[in-house]
This record gives sequence, structure tokens and C-alpha cells, in this order.
Amino acid sequence: MVKQEILLGNGAIALGLLEAGCQMVTSYPGTPSSEILPEVVRFVKSEKLDTYVEWSTNEKVALDTAFAASITGKRAACCMKQVGLNVAADSLMSAAYIGTVGGLVIISCDDPGPHSSQTEQDTRFMARLAKVPVLDPSDPQEAREMVGLAMDISEEFRIPVILRPAIRVSHARQNISFGPIKKNKKQASFEKNPQRWAATPRFRLVLHGELNKKLTEIGKKFENLSRYNFHNLESGKQYPLGIIAGGIPYSVIRDFLSEEKRIDIPVLKIGTPYPFPESLAIAFMSACERVLVIEETDTLIEYLLRDRNKVMGRLSGHVPSEGELVPQVIHKLINNALKELNLELLQSDDDQEAAQLVKDLELPVRRPTLCPGCPERAAFFAIRKTRPKAIFTSDIGCYTLGLNLGAVDTVLDMGAAITMASGFYHSFAQDAVEQPIVATIGDSTFFHSGTTGLLNAVYNSARFVLVILDNQTTAMTGMQPTPALGIRADGSEGKAIPLERIVAGCGVDFIEVVDPYDIKKTTSLLKKAVKYVKDPGGGIAVIIARHPCVIAYPDRAIPQKKKVIITDDCVECNFCLDRFECPALYHDTELGRVNINREICVDCGVCIQVCPKGAIVEA
Amino acid sequence: MEKTINIILSGLGGQGILFMTRALAQAALDKGFNVMGAETHGMAQRGGSVVSHLRLGEVKSSLVRTGTAHFLLSLEENEGYRNLPFLSHGARMYVNTNSRHFPREEAKGLLDKRKIIYRSIPAGIMAQELGAPRSSNLALLGYFSAFDEGPINYKDLKTTIHKISPKRFKDINLKILEAGYKKGKEAKK
Ligand code: SF4
Ligand code: SF4
Repeated sequence: MVKQEILLGNGAIALGLLEAGCQMVTSYPGTPSSEILPEVVRFVKSEKLDTYVEWSTNEKVALDTAFAASITGKRAACCMKQVGLNVAADSLMSAAYIGTVGGLVIISCDDPGPHSSQTEQDTRFMARLAKVPVLDPSDPQEAREMVGLAMDISEEFRIPVILRPAIRVSHARQNISFGPIKKNKKQASFEKNPQRWAATPRFRLVLHGELNKKLTEIGKKFENLSRYNFHNLESGKQYPLGIIAGGIPYSVIRDFLSEEKRIDIPVLKIGTPYPFPESLAIAFMSACERVLVIEETDTLIEYLLRDRNKVMGRLSGHVPSEGELVPQVIHKLINNALKELNLELLQSDDDQEAAQLVKDLELPVRRPTLCPGCPERAAFFAIRKTRPKAIFTSDIGCYTLGLNLGAVDTVLDMGAAITMASGFYHSFAQDAVEQPIVATIGDSTFFHSGTTGLLNAVYNSARFVLVILDNQTTAMTGMQPTPALGIRADGSEGKAIPLERIVAGCGVDFIEVVDPYDIKKTTSLLKKAVKYVKDPGGGIAVIIARHPCVIAYPDRAIPQKKKVIITDDCVECNFCLDRFECPALYHDTELGRVNINREICVDCGVCIQVCPKGAIVEA
Repeated sequence: MEKTINIILSGLGGQGILFMTRALAQAALDKGFNVMGAETHGMAQRGGSVVSHLRLGEVKSSLVRTGTAHFLLSLEENEGYRNLPFLSHGARMYVNTNSRHFPREEAKGLLDKRKIIYRSIPAGIMAQELGAPRSSNLALLGYFSAFDEGPINYKDLKTTIHKISPKRFKDINLKILEAGYKKGKEAKK
């Protein structure tokens, strides 16, 4: 029976994976990819499949694991965000040479904007660098179909294939119809062949040659893949302007042109940017005097087009080189090009008045903040209070928002809280300067990339305080479990690995656990840690600030609700607003004191410990 | 081909925009519309500005272009203003606010000039009084449906909310939806 559901793009991708008979899916959560694996789990349960799923500790682990499944002949996939592919790059580059047996699809979600990432990097370039094919879907339904194509190509040509959904594919919602999903019964088998699976450099050259041949063959296939690479030229006709587009920009452009029935502007859609369907592009270009290239996020298609003289794109300054190409931007780009060529413009009633009004209204900028009741806020407050002069290295997660509390100075990449703390320590120690350093890292980030850095720091005698913010979940990306919990991706039981054991295993001798809700205790423990760091016989001090996330565990996080009120002792110093920044606290001009927004206050009572005048009390 | 209907939903992370988007999308699908939408996940969900786009009709792209939205539902007043550029001539906006001075004087001129019809409801307070302070999204939805200006009416929403609410929230959700609807009915008189 065929059902219809409104699926997130990531749900459509999950569906596509299972429809393609995927037998293993691994992932590390990261916006905008995080929902793929949970959706896989949901379909596996409802369709009674036996696909193996796991939250891996990081993206490289995820890819290595899926790669092994692939060389047993099974179909496997791994999912991550674009910067996660950097972590998995080592694995990817090598896997491209070695090749696959069963289909292996890597789903790497891009984030033009960026909305929730450190960079706007373009996965298509990673595919080009690794020499693996990449498919660029324009909407959830197409993403679902392309997953199947990716599996088939991977298996036919024995090469990993990347699917690159941009955030507007992953986080789009679309109604999708689907029927029952069949189980893939393929059995694992491993044929020993060290020359291939453990190839030495000499044989790598041979593999490289094979890889190049595969790409040529796939390129030929893509030339004729009219489902995903196509144009609407009328044969024999010449056009003053054509558009080449892929991914999300294609959808936007398609909508504009069909709304206004502008058949005078032909479009070449590129669904497989690499290997590039070059003959198709040449045919299209020769029918157009000028060509506007609109792609996200970088200039892959533009680089691959040979006749630059015709091209209007990023390299010629026609398309912005950073930021998301939202519809109004694309609309303007097209109109600019049409204007330059004296052609009829697209209609627009989009006057700038509203945008100007919004500017004039001077609306408050709503920066993201830690949730009301968030345990990390309490930890940051204590850290800043104890070590106001420290360098605060931090990391990636909700707690990056410790920025707002003045307790985060640096964020580089996953795990850099620890490695940069090390680097800072040695830089200052070299000058005989005793620079206080407090590093903060989340539990999930610590599992992802913390241990190697910590081992290194201990081994090389760095000195700093490390606070592991252990909220017992991967909060930012939607509450995925961590290895410390012993709950696996499908909800089944796994072995729980306590952080304390890992930290001890890294050679750390000072390990203390505290509930950050108790600010006094946290502060005194931090002082003890600082002493240890300074002590000649000391070293790195690790404090595990353990308290459940209020969103993931609303009941457990606040076992005893404390209804808080603010008395007339409040002198409007705004200390609590500046230093503690709970979004439920605000300055009430009418009352002449701070007040509490009951709509969002979760009665955690932590703010009671914050007010220097004792004006915040339990009711 | 039916004309596409473009809807913008805005507010702050944590106010339940995603649920509101899901409810409208599901109700629309059940009425036979094709649904395409775009959501905000990730960092902004921690209290930042959050916007959902919802498009009903035969479209490929999930984002609404500025100047083309027919409806704006905002769970917060300032976020409502922030998204004004999306609205088309003659659009309608429904805003959750306690302010008696809605809309702000500076915004009135533009709203009137573009013939945008604006309405407000203290959805937050209503939800709080009914014992579910975080359900202002449902009160706003109910209010919106009372005017019957969009493709989805109160009955549709009631069915959908019943269908998609987790069991323990079903009754309270429907109660708040109804309260919003009644408020809208009164305002309509
Ligand atoms: S989701 Fe959890 S960890 Fe993240 S800010 Fe909120 S309470 Fe803190
Ligand atoms: S009790 Fe205080 S700290 Fe906790 S949520 Fe309410 S206002 Fe914020």
C-alpha cells in the first residue's frame, strides 16, 4: 500500500537509502544532517528491516565502518555535515583509490549561509579533490531518488559516491509517497586481497590509474543521464541568455521561470556536477550568447566550463561569493543579467521600503542563547567568576554560546578547546609567563575529538584547567546519545563508557565531578583545580561538570522546582543579566527592577546564587 | 494550475514554530495540497530568530521570495516586523503580542500602503492562563483559523492537532486551539 507523508529532506534521504537496500548506516550528528539516521531508525522499525545503524564517535569512524561493510559486498552509507567530511577526509581520499564492492554512499550536507557551521565550504569540491562522483539534489524527492542512483553507480563502478544535499534540501519538508520497503538479504563475505585492501604506494599508482578510468566511464554515463542533467533548448534556436544551475538554485529558478512562462530563457540543470557532463554543457553554451551560472556554494561548475568569455558568475562578479543564494538574491541576479543584456526583466513588486522599515525599527538582534535552566550557563558563570583573566578556549556545541557570558574566547574546530589550550600554554610558558587557561568542551565533542588532544597535552606537559560540560547528550544537534550513556542509535543497550575512565586513561591525575547547578561547590573546585595546575607536581586538571540538559531530560534536570521571585532589593545593577544571561530574566522598566518571564522560566533556581544583593529568592 | 499559497511563520527558538509548521503542512496535505516547506534547525533554535516557510501548490523550491507571502503568523511581535519584507500586497499578518499599541506607529504607514491586514492576539498570556505557557503557538493557530482567510480552517486544524499531538498533550492542545479560535471569532464580530 502506498502511503503519503510529509517528510523532512533528511527523511526522504533515509527513505531512499532503505529503498536502495542499504544494510548499514553510520553517522555523527551535525546540522543539517542530524535527522537522517533517526529517520532511518524510524523506517527500519516500521518496515521491520534489519539495517545496522550506529552513531559513530566521529565522521572518520563512521566512514571507515561503512567502508568495511561495503567491501564485504553490502550496501552501506554514512551521513555527516560538510565540516564532518573534513574529519573523514583521510578515509575518503584513500577509499576512492581502493574502491568499493557493495555500494557506498557518503551523504555530506552543506550549509550555505552558514546557518549552523564554521564554514560555507562546498562538498562538491571535496568530491573533486577525492576524485569521487557527487550528486546535487534540488529537492527532497530528488534527493531520495538520487540516493538509489548513487548506490547503483557506486556498485557498478566500485567507487564511493557522494550525495550533497544543501541545508534547504535537508531541512525542506515535502509530501512524499512510498510503499513497502524490501529487505536486502545480501550476506557479508570478504575476499582477501592485500594488494588492494592494504595497497602499498607502488600499487596505489595502479589504483589511481583505475580510479581515473572509472571517472571517465562515469562521465560518459552522466552525459546521457537525462533525468538529472537536462536543458530545455529548442533545437536550432539561438538565445541571448541561458542559465546553468544545480541544486537548490535550480529549484528556485525553475519556479521563477515557470511562474512567468519565460521560455525565452533556457536552463541547463546539472544534477551531477562531477564528473561534469561536459558535452552537454558545450551544446548548451553554443546555443546561448551569454550564460549565467548559479550554483551553491562555490564555483565548481564555473571552473569546469571551458568557455569563460560567455560566463556570468562568481568569477566575473555577477554572483556573490559568500552567503546563501535565497530566492530574492537569485531573482536580483537574474534581473541584473537581463538588464545588462537589454532583455525583458522578471516581474518584481519587491520594493525596498519594507526592508528599509525593518532597518529603521531597529529591532533587537535575537542572538541565540543557552536555554533557561541550562547547566552550562551555571558552569560558565562559575568559571568566569573564578578565573576572570583566563584565556577561555572552547568548542563546538550549545556551549559555544558561552560567548554571550564572556567565558568563550576561541572556537576553531571539534576538539580544539583542548589542543588550543595546549598551544596557548606552551606559547606563554616559553616566555615564562604564567597565563591562566580554562578550556571547555562538551561531552559529545570530547568523545568525537577530545582524547587525542588530551593525550597529547598530558604527554607534552601542558598545564590548564579543562572543564568537560557533561549534559549527557549531544544537545545542539537534537539530543543524540553519547557513548557515556550506553544507549545506541536504535534505542538498544550498548556499553556505557564513563568519561572519568577515559580522562584517567589519558593520563590525567586530577579528575573531579561536580554538579554545576551548585555554583559555590563548582567555584571552590575550580580553585582547587587552579592550585593543582600551578603546583610544581601538578598538571592538567579536569573537572567534569555533570548535569542533564534541560531539554533532553526535563524531569531529571530539575528534580526540585524552585519558584523564584525578585524582591525590591534589586538595585538594577543588571549583573544577573550581563553575567548570567538567563533569557527568562529581563529588565522591567515599569517595575524598576529585574523581572522573570514565566513563559520560559523553568524554575531551576540557579539564579538565586547569582545576585550579589540577594534580591533573587525562592518564593 | 492553482495559485501557490506562501506562508511565513516566525518567532523565537523554543516557541514551537516547528510544531506550528507541521500542523499547517499536515492539514494542507490532508486537503489535497502539495506541500513544500523550509525549517530552521540547529543553533538558532536556542532562542534565536526562527522562521519557517510553507508553500502550498505545485512548486519546487521551499523558500518564499520576499514580497510574495500571503500570510505571516508570528509568535513574537518583533519577529513579525523582521519578516515584513516577505509580505505581498494585501497579505495578512497575525501576531502574538500583549501590546495594546500593536502595530508600532512606524510600521503602520507601510502596512496600510501595502494593504496588509494585521491582527494581534495575546496568545502567550492565554496559553499561560490555560496552564500550558509554551503553547502560544496553538492559540495563534486557532486565532488564524477563525478568520477563514487561508486555505485551512478551524475544523481542518482540529483534526490535524488531534492526529499529530502526543497523547498526553492532546486535550490541552485542543483546548488552547479552541481558545484562540474563539478569540478570533469575537474579534471578527
Ligand atoms: S539544549 Fe540543553 S545544553 Fe543546549 S542550551 Fe539548552 S539546556 Fe543547554
Ligand atoms: S529560575 Fe532563574 S535561572 Fe532558572 S530559568 Fe528561571 S530565571 Fe532562569
